[in-house]
Amino acid sequence: MQGEESLVRRAQNNDQEAFARLYEEYFDKIYRYLALRVGNEMEAEDMTQQVFLNALQSISSFRWKGVPFSAWLYRIAHNQAVDHLRKKTKRPSVPLDESLISSGDNPHSTAELKMNIEQLLVAAKRLTEAQREVISLRFTSELSIAKVAKVMGKSEGAVKALQHSAIVALRRTMLVTE
Amino acid sequence: MKDKEFNNIFDECLERIVLDGETLEYCLKLYPEQADELKPLLETVLAVKEASSVEPRPEFRARARYQFRSALQEKAAPRRRPFLGWVPRWATALAIVLVVLMAGGGTVAAASNSMPDSILYPVKLATENVQLALTTSDIGEARLCAGFADRRVAEIIYMADMGDARQIERITERLDDRLEMLVVLVSELDGEQAPSFLMESTGDSSGAGEPPDSGDSDTANGAPTEPPPSATVDEGGWGKGHHGQAQNRAGLTVSVAGSASNNHSVMQAMLEEVPPSVKEALLEAIAVLENGYGKVLQALQ
Repeated sequence: MQGEESLVRRAQNNDQEAFARLYEEYFDKIYRYLALRVGNEMEAEDMTQQVFLNALQSISSFRWKGVPFSAWLYRIAHNQAVDHLRKKTKRPSVPLDESLISSGDNPHSTAELKMNIEQLLVAAKRLTEAQREVISLRFTSELSIAKVAKVMGKSEGAVKALQHSAIVALRRTMLVTE
Repeated sequence: MKDKEFNNIFDECLERIVLDGETLEYCLKLYPEQADELKPLLETVLAVKEASSVEPRPEFRARARYQFRSALQEKAAPRRRPFLGWVPRWATALAIVLVVLMAGGGTVAAASNSMPDSILYPVKLATENVQLALTTSDIGEARLCAGFADRRVAEIIYMADMGDARQIERITERLDDRLEMLVVLVSELDGEQAPSFLMESTGDSSGAGEPPDSGDSDTANGAPTEPPPSATVDEGGWGKGHHGQAQNRAGLTVSVAGSASNNHSVMQAMLEEVPPSVKEALLEAIAVLENGYGKVLQALQ
């Protein structure tokens, strides 16, 4: 995102317009990340709102010390997800709502896509927490390995290894359920 | 070591396919020795990528955006609400003259019926401000505010029918202002004593505190006619002591709850009929309405 550093600095100086632009840039990405991590639409919505309210409250504490703003924001989302999952004794078994699915004109392709989302959620539940986080950050939020490493507090090599093992596990599960 | 090398190759292919838009076949040609192992994994990645492209619901997006903007404003500066919202000076002056000298007359009524695309609309807003300024009790102001909020909803419906998203956004801000003001007024109701001269009022509705009768508003598409503000300073009478205050509060609660429900239903129904160009503005208006009435009803409880 061009000029992100400038936008963040302005946001830190209470520039509402700057913070609003950061919000628009990251809102969908954070939502997607949380939706895949918690597997529940309503919970993902509540948590997404809370992430941005937390970011608003603590933006002044953010410092450009090799940590990109996106990594800082995802770190807030990560903490939200970890707290949430820790509190839950059971993993939600609520099927994904129709509205979670990207709209498509072709009903056939929409049905296939829904099946894929459900498959993905079922498969993702069999991953470890760390594997699920890598998948969510890499493929729903499209963060680079370096940024994922920053968010998770791991080395890039460790993230690559997690990514590989997660994809292998997903492949295996998705083949079984097909 | 072999795993590490493969992980690097795998990640490079991911970057090329997912972020740079290269094809799977292209990547396999770059690494023919690893192609057999890479192919199923990269296919899985593409399936995962497609499956995880979820989008937030538009209603949620609008509600969240409104709440975030509210939080932004609160953080930027705790603003003090101007008692008289901004309107042109000429409109305020004209409104004062009209309200004081010609209350109930045709011009005031015409202005009160006007919609945001009318030349008389600034007079309508100014008249509302003057009415509020001339009302001396919180319960009277609260009732006026509730009625003015109803008017804003009718205007939003009208402008949605006209397909004017910009106007909807402007009116939504005014709706937000009215509902926020209503929250403040409702919060101050406890312990309020009615001025003695009002205690003896007979409920004459022609006084300066009376909002003009809105009459029929010219809205299309089954949109509601613009409701008149529901109260005057002394409408419904001032109860004496705590019992009367409780009655005032209960009456206002019923009225506001009814407005919240009706206005929400009408706007939701309108959502089905409007063109896509105004849908987002209308969704945001609905979010403002839900949030605003929610706060008012909470304050009333």
